[in-house]
Amino acid sequence: MTLMENLFENLRLELRRGCLTLAVLLQLREEHYGYTLRKALAVRGMEIDENTLYPLLRRLEAQGLLTSEWREEEKRNKRFYRLSAEGAPVLELLLAEWQSLNAAIETIRQQGKGE
Amino acid sequence: MEALERYLEAVGRHLRGGRREDIVAELRANLEAQLDDKQAELGRPLTTQEAEAWLKQLGAPLQMAARYQAQRYLIGPEIFPIYWLVMERALGWAAVIYAVVSLVLLATETPNAQSVVDALVRLPGVLLWVAAWVTLIFALIEYGAARDPQKWQGLAEQAACFPKAEFAARQRSGRHGKRRRTLAHAVAEAVFGFLFLVWLLLIPQHPWLMMGPGAAVWKALPYALAPVWMTFYWWVVAAHAVQLAWLCVELARGTWQKKRGLRLVVVKAIELIPINVLLYAPGQVLLVLRDPGRDGARLSATLNGWNEGLHKAVLVIAILVAAQIVWTLVNLVWMRGRGEAK
Repeated sequence: MTLMENLFENLRLELRRGCLTLAVLLQLREEHYGYTLRKALAVRGMEIDENTLYPLLRRLEAQGLLTSEWREEEKRNKRFYRLSAEGAPVLELLLAEWQSLNAAIETIRQQGKGE
Repeated sequence: MEALERYLEAVGRHLRGGRREDIVAELRANLEAQLDDKQAELGRPLTTQEAEAWLKQLGAPLQMAARYQAQRYLIGPEIFPIYWLVMERALGWAAVIYAVVSLVLLATETPNAQSVVDALVRLPGVLLWVAAWVTLIFALIEYGAARDPQKWQGLAEQAACFPKAEFAARQRSGRHGKRRRTLAHAVAEAVFGFLFLVWLLLIPQHPWLMMGPGAAVWKALPYALAPVWMTFYWWVVAAHAVQLAWLCVELARGTWQKKRGLRLVVVKAIELIPINVLLYAPGQVLLVLRDPGRDGARLSATLNGWNEGLHKAVLVIAILVAAQIVWTLVNLVWMRGRGEAK
């Protein structure tokens, strides 16, 4: 990997970090367990490694943004996650922030094109 | 599958705390579901090589387990700039102090190339010790911050104390307003306090550390310090050790930025003890003759004069320290009255 590729990779990871949390919270408006959540996100273009997603779920739950319960499905015990009542307003705020950032970036980009 | 079981077992070994079994069970459920999908896609079970390659993709067990642990730093990004600033200053000052002490040492001995080389060789060790102490103190602060983030919120802002904000705060608080102690200041106090304690402890074996070349002159004089000075010395060491320990506790508890009124009063009160040791020295004798048999007749009158003068000087110092305590107490009460000494 060249220096520039390495730099790009670091910047890309930095950019993705916050977006992953937003994507996970959005997707968990429907109940999922870890693996189906990963698949659901991947289908929608948001690939996340197992060693990032599964610990992230734990952290978000510890922060009170998600709730979870163990349940049997297809003869296997699985831990299902869902957006919590406390997490819903936080998600709305994050979404508004995301949209505002997105709009700002787009405005700046268009401005740059015009000049 | 054996490879998966081995992987999960290895992850479990690296996990800490009571959540270990829960995390492993959840990881097993997720990975087994993923494995089922892979095998259904292939229409056959994974071979051992394929399974191992898949597990390798997940990351090493240690890495996987580490992701489940809370992120920990020896010194976190919030404190690091202050740590670096203190480290630079502490190392700079340590190098200067070491250079001065070495020069004094070389001046009092017969200088030769070997002693200069020895002094230079010892320098990295001294700097390493200072760096280790600074790092240890900041690691303790980081540990405290991780345990009680509320108390340490905005640590960097408080610690950095931007000059303009500080100036404005002083302007607002008027001439009685005092600068709040910054974290950098508190840590520097601890580091130099420790160095000062080491210096104090070395004085009995190496008097030149205090007197410089005067130590040789002192040895040649017919007078010597009375034994009461050793008691005085140990009380000074104890007073400084208490002060240093207090500061370390403040750093560990995150209360370093608070006003130091009470500490000042206690420290001054402790300082009164060694002064009183001298004040109430047996027979008010602070100096004795090295050889009374030889010099007794000739110097006893001078010696009495010295002892009388020294006793009066100690008395004046005791009064000044007592007055300082009273002044600090009055200030404390006055500030409390204004609601500042919180």
